[in-house]
Amino acid sequence: MILRNSAIGLALLAATSVQAADFKWASTTDPQTMDPHAVNSAPVLGFLNNVYEGLVRRDKDMRVEPALATSWEPIGDGEGWRFHLRQGVTFHDGGDFDAQDVLFSYQRASGEAADTRSWFAPIREVNVVDDYTIDFMTIAPNPLFPSSIANWMIMDQAWTEANDAVVPDKETGNFATINANGTGAFKVTAREPGLKTELEPFDGWWDEAEHNITRAEFNPIQNPATAVAALLSGDVDMINPVPIQDVARLTGNADVDVIQGIEARVIMLGFDHQAEVLKYTDDAGKPNPFRDPRVRRAVAQAVNVDAILATIMRGNAEAASQLVSPAMSGYSEANAERPAYDVQAAKALLAEAGYDDGFSFGLKCPNDRYLNDEAVCQAVVSMLAQIGVTAELDAMPVRNYWPELREGNYDMYLLGWSPGTFDAEHPVRFLVATPNEEKKLGSWNFGGFSNPRVDELLPAIQSELDAVKRQAMLDEVAQIIQDEQVYVPMYVQPLVWGTRSNIGLTQRPDNFFLLRWVTVN
Amino acid sequence: MFAFIVRRMFQSVIVLLVVGLVAFSMFRFVGDPIDNMLGQERTQADIDRLRTELGLDQPFPVQYFKFLQGAVQGNFGVSYRQGRPVSTIIAERAPATLELAFVSGFLAITLGIALGVFTAIRRQGVAANIIMTVSLIGVSLPTFLIGILLIYIFSVELDLLPSFGRGETVMIGNWSTGFLTASGLKALILPAITLGLYQMTLIMRLVRSEMLEVMRADYVRFARARGLSDRVINFRHALKNTLVPVITITGLQLGSIIAFAIITETVFQWPGVGLLFINAIQFVDIPVMAAYLMLISVMFVTINLIVDLLYYAIDPRLRVDARAT
Amino acid sequence: MTDTSDTPQSRPKSRLGKFWDSDFAWSFRHSPVAVIAFLFVVILVLAAIFAPLIAPHNPFDPATLNLMNGFTPPGTPNAFTQETFLLGTDDQGRDVFSTILYGMRISLFVGAAAVMLAMIIGVILGLVAAYFGGWIETLIMRIADVQLTFPAILVAMLIFGIAKGVTPPEYRNEMAIYVLIIAIALSDWVQFARVVRGAALVEKNKEYVQAARLIGRGSFPIMFRHILPNVLSPVLVIATISLALAIIAEATLSFLGVGAPPTQPSLGTLIRIGQGFLFSGEWWILFFPACTLLALALSVNLLGDWLRDALNPKLR
Repeated sequence: MILRNSAIGLALLAATSVQAADFKWASTTDPQTMDPHAVNSAPVLGFLNNVYEGLVRRDKDMRVEPALATSWEPIGDGEGWRFHLRQGVTFHDGGDFDAQDVLFSYQRASGEAADTRSWFAPIREVNVVDDYTIDFMTIAPNPLFPSSIANWMIMDQAWTEANDAVVPDKETGNFATINANGTGAFKVTAREPGLKTELEPFDGWWDEAEHNITRAEFNPIQNPATAVAALLSGDVDMINPVPIQDVARLTGNADVDVIQGIEARVIMLGFDHQAEVLKYTDDAGKPNPFRDPRVRRAVAQAVNVDAILATIMRGNAEAASQLVSPAMSGYSEANAERPAYDVQAAKALLAEAGYDDGFSFGLKCPNDRYLNDEAVCQAVVSMLAQIGVTAELDAMPVRNYWPELREGNYDMYLLGWSPGTFDAEHPVRFLVATPNEEKKLGSWNFGGFSNPRVDELLPAIQSELDAVKRQAMLDEVAQIIQDEQVYVPMYVQPLVWGTRSNIGLTQRPDNFFLLRWVTVN
Repeated sequence: MFAFIVRRMFQSVIVLLVVGLVAFSMFRFVGDPIDNMLGQERTQADIDRLRTELGLDQPFPVQYFKFLQGAVQGNFGVSYRQGRPVSTIIAERAPATLELAFVSGFLAITLGIALGVFTAIRRQGVAANIIMTVSLIGVSLPTFLIGILLIYIFSVELDLLPSFGRGETVMIGNWSTGFLTASGLKALILPAITLGLYQMTLIMRLVRSEMLEVMRADYVRFARARGLSDRVINFRHALKNTLVPVITITGLQLGSIIAFAIITETVFQWPGVGLLFINAIQFVDIPVMAAYLMLISVMFVTINLIVDLLYYAIDPRLRVDARAT
Repeated sequence: MTDTSDTPQSRPKSRLGKFWDSDFAWSFRHSPVAVIAFLFVVILVLAAIFAPLIAPHNPFDPATLNLMNGFTPPGTPNAFTQETFLLGTDDQGRDVFSTILYGMRISLFVGAAAVMLAMIIGVILGLVAAYFGGWIETLIMRIADVQLTFPAILVAMLIFGIAKGVTPPEYRNEMAIYVLIIAIALSDWVQFARVVRGAALVEKNKEYVQAARLIGRGSFPIMFRHILPNVLSPVLVIATISLALAIIAEATLSFLGVGAPPTQPSLGTLIRIGQGFLFSGEWWILFFPACTLLALALSVNLLGDWLRDALNPKLR
């Protein structure tokens, strides 16, 4: 039985009942902290979205909707944003929510010790107008600010101060590392880090509950085969992710459902744009061919993405032409075509660039970061071999991978990028802009690609209020990235969750799993 | 005697220090903890700041010295991953591993001795030969595969036993036990078999070969000549004399049970220290790795020491030897 | 043993004949399990050595792989390419049969080389410890303690980690296999050292060694000429069983992510990859490599078993 992304939750909306419903779910990683400002990572933010809330939140289709703020509007000509806060909201411990908590959470989340600091880079100052009104003044007009803070969660000032957790501490931990006190639909009742986290619905939640869970339990399960076994035997009600290869088998099983969607993450190949010479294999020390856009284009045309999707991804992913998927805002419709798979054209491009006899180089790849990452890299190696280019694959765990990329130990590498803002500007800022430590630009542009026009357009895109003009600039950047073949985008990573067939839930493209949309039948 | 113990203890401490040094020097190669602690939107400045805060920018002898300083006072630092004291985390996880090790050790010893005696007595028998061959299958496949196959058969296909975890546990003081609930006991079965299989095969083969040797020894022949029954000879004489080496080897094998627990715990998501260690490697949680290795070392060195002292007490010849060394 | 005949012409044949008649060979011929196990080992080793001649494909040459051949079941033609593979293909479209043959090569090479290395280190250190005694013995045996303290898998993981760190990046892929060998060897030498030391301690005080010492022979000749041959049978037994263990250890390390590279997989790497397809229906990707590993390790183990009994003088 197979279901597609959207409708499930809606269909079961009315099913809310009073019967006791236990719900257990499993994922590969445990959220390492309960502190919403300490670590900016998907497992942490995804989990804590059940417990804490922001001023705004995303609905089932990723649209921004009111949460702790009931409405918001720009101030003047884009000097900032005014938020009107919801009244009568209480935290799990009974404390009241007001503008002081928002101001406190701003200070906490934008401080030196917070990992969420970059979200507040556009903010000049924050002013409390009254108990339920607060102004965020921005340095420049910032049309995206309200939607960029959907994961900024509000903590209770009194609770945090009473428990000595005013500053997030990810090194030594504090009270907020293991305990949580949000305004969200669920409260944490027991937490054993790395083993088990138990939640119960919060009776005093301001919103109407759609779920019918009376108790929920989260278990991290590392080994994918064990997780599948746990789902099949009914030991858990939901797992995320389901290994791609098991989708077909699970779909054929009446006791479980597979829920598929497209994640925001685009998987791509990256190059060293700066290095003078190759670093690996017999050709180490020879001039770096990847500085030539024709060679990069040849790589793009040699990789048979459709074959990768048909076999390794088993038809569960979609090819990508840009650094963001079509579901993101700012996606460039004008650049939706990806270079066609064409071995002859690729060979011709190589010959044109002066590499008739091919060359050999080192390809770095993680083996525990993305779905089937190692298998994809292996496939890329054999596809490049067809055009006479020999890649030597070095696959490693992600703990070794990022340091390796930072030190420039690669000729070509695999990267997945999920735009935190769900907008096309995000990857441009991190992956394409010329690296600039001070302006916090290009911090993941390992290859050191640099294009003056892109650098010029980026600040303009960031402050443009007119959607059409903004899109025109994004289209131009997308065009440059495609012409220069800065990266070779391959596909959008699929989201595959597995549930017992009596479970109804909603899957969001950001891979966040929200208990408030779960029904147990 | 006293001098021997003191010297032996002194050597043990040096062993521990060396182990710690080796462990510490290797951490830098495991990976970089920074990336797991910072999100996607980190900057180089964030990276440098965190590295300084964790003391990772210091030369490793300094880091090692600081670690030792803390460890002597029972302070193993704070886990990078969980932000909690390592000693607390290990104390939480240890009962799971110890209970698993105990049950699988118990299985291995009882079954191993029983089957070993049987195969020795019926050396030429068909059943004994089948047992000998089949038991080898257990050591001819990697542990992780045996575990996964057991899960596949008993929890997915037959739906008899849980596929992961410890089931319900009960707290007795600070000790969480799975022995007191039905689900806890059921959860123990598959991991214990996976972990104990290898040791069982080993003990069974050891008992068998020791038995065979003892049964050929003169005093057993005399006993037989005296007309004692087979049963008395086998159990009163032969088995008894077999047990000393078996107990020694089993003691030394305790460590390898703990080591193989790493694999078993990963496959079954068993919440013990082995899984903790694997997680620590994955996230380059240096304080947890260091504490785990040190604890394992202390355990081994202690076992070694006890075995040596027992030998010393039992075997008078070694006393001369010990004086000479 | 019988007396030796001195006619030079008949020596080669009579030697073989003698071997055939010896207790050792007799016991071998009369143990069907040993004969079958031996045959299995020989077949598998030959298959591994001549893999390039037997295997229909070269799975290590990425240019010959077609991804669209991926997941072809055994003996049935692929839906896209119409190609047929005896034991099917894996996720990369590699012929499973060829991959097993090549993988077995790597597994056997790693296993054999690791055991050899462990044996050399262990025997030398064991002999030296037993013969010289004193602080040398203490030092060696304490190092052995340290080694035992670190469970074999951990030792191998540590060494793998360090070696990856210290080798220049461009050699890392080639290094992986040698690092595996060293890692397994270093976790394995202790048992050789312990057994050799134990046996040598007994031999050391026997009359023939005392006599050799009295006539003024040097330490090393005594160790290697006189003591070593007398402690070789337990070493041989351990070596055989260690070979099986080393092959399994390589597989286990692979599961922990420190095995042979995926582009040049060993049997262990194949099993690690294959276990991901246990639930998905592509059973052949796991089943055939696992069976090969089982057959290999089991026959080596059975051979070791028989060797242990056959070489144990007390059991004759």
